[in-house]
Amino acid sequence: MAVDTVGELGFPYWNPLRRRFPPDSPFFASGNVERELLAKQVALDFTEDEITNLQTIVETESRRISCPIVGCPERLKSLDNFEDHYKTRHTASCSVCSRVYPTSRLLSIHISEAHDSFFQAKVARGYDMYECLVEGCGLKFKSYKARHRHLIDKHKFPTTFEFFKRTQLSKKRREKLQRQRVPKLKHEEDKEEASSDAMEVEDKASLDGLVSALSTLTTSDTTPSNVSFGRRHGRGLTFVPRSVHREKPTNSSSTPGSKT
Amino acid sequence: MADDGSASNRRDPIKSSVGNVAGQRRRQQAVTVAKERRESLVRAKRLCRVGTNGGDDEDARVENEMMIDEEQPVLEAQTVKAVEELKSAVQSQGKGAMQKRVTALRELRRLLSKSEFPPIDAALTAGAIPLLVQCLSFGSPDEQLLESAWCLTNIAAGKPEETKALLPALPLLIAHLGEKNSAPVAEQCAWAIGNVAGEGEELRNVLLSQGALPPLARMIFPDKGSTVRTAAWALSNLIKGPESKAAAQLVRVDGIVDAILRHLKKTDEEIATEIAWIVVYLSALSDIATSMLLKGGILQLLVERLATSDSLQLLIPVLRSLGNFVSVDPKAMLTILIGGQNTEENAINVLGKCLRSEHRVLKKEAAWVLSNIAAGSIEHKRVIHSSEAMPLLLRLLSTSPFDIKKEVAYVLGNLCVESAEGDARPRIIQEHLVSIVSGGCLRGFIDLVRSPDIEAARLGLQFIELVLRGMPNGEGPKLVEGEDGIDAMERFQFHENEELRVMANSLVDKYFGEDYGINE
Repeated sequence: MAVDTVGELGFPYWNPLRRRFPPDSPFFASGNVERELLAKQVALDFTEDEITNLQTIVETESRRISCPIVGCPERLKSLDNFEDHYKTRHTASCSVCSRVYPTSRLLSIHISEAHDSFFQAKVARGYDMYECLVEGCGLKFKSYKARHRHLIDKHKFPTTFEFFKRTQLSKKRREKLQRQRVPKLKHEEDKEEASSDAMEVEDKASLDGLVSALSTLTTSDTTPSNVSFGRRHGRGLTFVPRSVHREKPTNSSSTPGSKT
Repeated sequence: MADDGSASNRRDPIKSSVGNVAGQRRRQQAVTVAKERRESLVRAKRLCRVGTNGGDDEDARVENEMMIDEEQPVLEAQTVKAVEELKSAVQSQGKGAMQKRVTALRELRRLLSKSEFPPIDAALTAGAIPLLVQCLSFGSPDEQLLESAWCLTNIAAGKPEETKALLPALPLLIAHLGEKNSAPVAEQCAWAIGNVAGEGEELRNVLLSQGALPPLARMIFPDKGSTVRTAAWALSNLIKGPESKAAAQLVRVDGIVDAILRHLKKTDEEIATEIAWIVVYLSALSDIATSMLLKGGILQLLVERLATSDSLQLLIPVLRSLGNFVSVDPKAMLTILIGGQNTEENAINVLGKCLRSEHRVLKKEAAWVLSNIAAGSIEHKRVIHSSEAMPLLLRLLSTSPFDIKKEVAYVLGNLCVESAEGDARPRIIQEHLVSIVSGGCLRGFIDLVRSPDIEAARLGLQFIELVLRGMPNGEGPKLVEGEDGIDAMERFQFHENEELRVMANSLVDKYFGEDYGINE
């Protein structure tokens, strides 16, 4: 270790040198072992205080606060829990379709892709609009399929990745949305229903099922849902057909559990 | 994650009521831990026995019931049943479906949390993962997310192939670290991710590619809370390398260096422990992080922690961080050494405190740090030489186990020699050499010569050379002889290691040749 001025003739004299070890060096092995053993040593001895605390926890269980937001069924244990809950449920939800997301960023991606006709217009004109979901990547793609491929190829997402599941809308809500929709071709409606049923059954683990919750949904009032599969041209489309319908030709007709 | 008994920890594993039951449970836990200690390899994964929510009364009641460890086959059968329940619950819709799901998840989670050997394989074979992944979908109620993440956490705490089974769940777990999620949910997901990261480099790379690092890093910004601790632990697993890219990515997160320094300065020991491990890896793997932390005054913070803490868990990473910084930049060390007015916080003194510790790891690594300081300038050597650490070192050289002895040898030898320019022979600092030899270290070095460890034997021979060359009035040879040094060296005459053979023989020839003893 004190490698130094040897030469063929000379003695390797002691030379004071700094020694540096990488983190996985055997030199540190015993310290690493200690770390994990100590971690496993769960607290086995309670102090008097801790015992009292345990009792208190058990006693206060029944006192819960109901969330004051209309329609929210949660009941919370404490003010802290309520604040957590509020942050979760009532601040990152989509005002159009009520979906909830764990980050603001995902929420805004969802809004762009599912409810923004300007977004769709740009897509139709060939702009790269679909953002990579991984924070910091920054790449954008022309279609959500291309983005999927990128997630799998570059970011090692699993091929069975099913990121977004539709939240179960209540029957009432679904019926209401049905009525609001501009009447469409029957077969398109059937396809949509089939697909929405399929997704709600939650058996599909398909690549197309991916991100569908970001981009899909027919709840927007402002965008006409005239979608043409080429059957009826000339219906005066001023808006571009929603990319979802154009890009998932087989999705809505697949049966539950058919793909891996 | 063990606390030192002083803080009430809502993640204590024993939630049942007090008294006899707790006592029995404690004893069972002790047995469990002892077995795990004996049987496990060093696993960087941690089983979650109490969830991040602190548990609720239902859990407490349930825990009371399971006093006897079930037979493994029974447990596995129950697990298969639980997975099937979950499958049907996931498929059901309408009123009550949510509650059904949570109940099914909870049952599975119980089964995966209580035994010494959770029935992970049974759960996987029954198809738990896809169901758990579905339960993580966005918009699911907190309880569902929490229970699902908890199940995944414990599955990931198992064998390597079991941890790998979590691959389909990773993107969702990462997404649920998001700032909009409730703290217990984010924390449980961080825990699962921490277990996955602890498995190995390949999984760490997958996590990094999927963007796990930034959200995890942000979770350590708050001042306190168990979420911060869990996230810091998970983060330390994520960046431990040996590749440096994760460490490099971490240091680029805005505000992370400040957060680290802030925690080291003020936070309770449990959080500081995990943060210190982050510093260990940053200081070992990222030059940028090293210089930013040094500029931010980390050495002083580390020294203060060493001075004030008695928690072995905290001292190990703090000491090692200090060692890493010193091994890179001893100049930074100098300002601490000289500038410290307060003797308690004096860096050498805290290293002395570690040398006095009963824990082997602390003694060994403290000696290593000192050896690197001693490899610095004359100033450095003088500070050590005149400190209270000297008598400790001399004693340790004679009495301590081999690995500690070797490190101490490095310190003592480094104190006696000054680095040379170019190819010149390093200069002996006679004052230090004389005082150390008269402190009785020669015997210890000659013992090293006799040891089977090549590096140690080499050190011993090198030190003998210093003594033979550098002691005043030609006293060296007599001293060496007096401690059976010649005998030790002659054993190398026919040693298989050529370098050692040549070294020993050249010393014997030069200093104990034909003329030796003639003038007696």
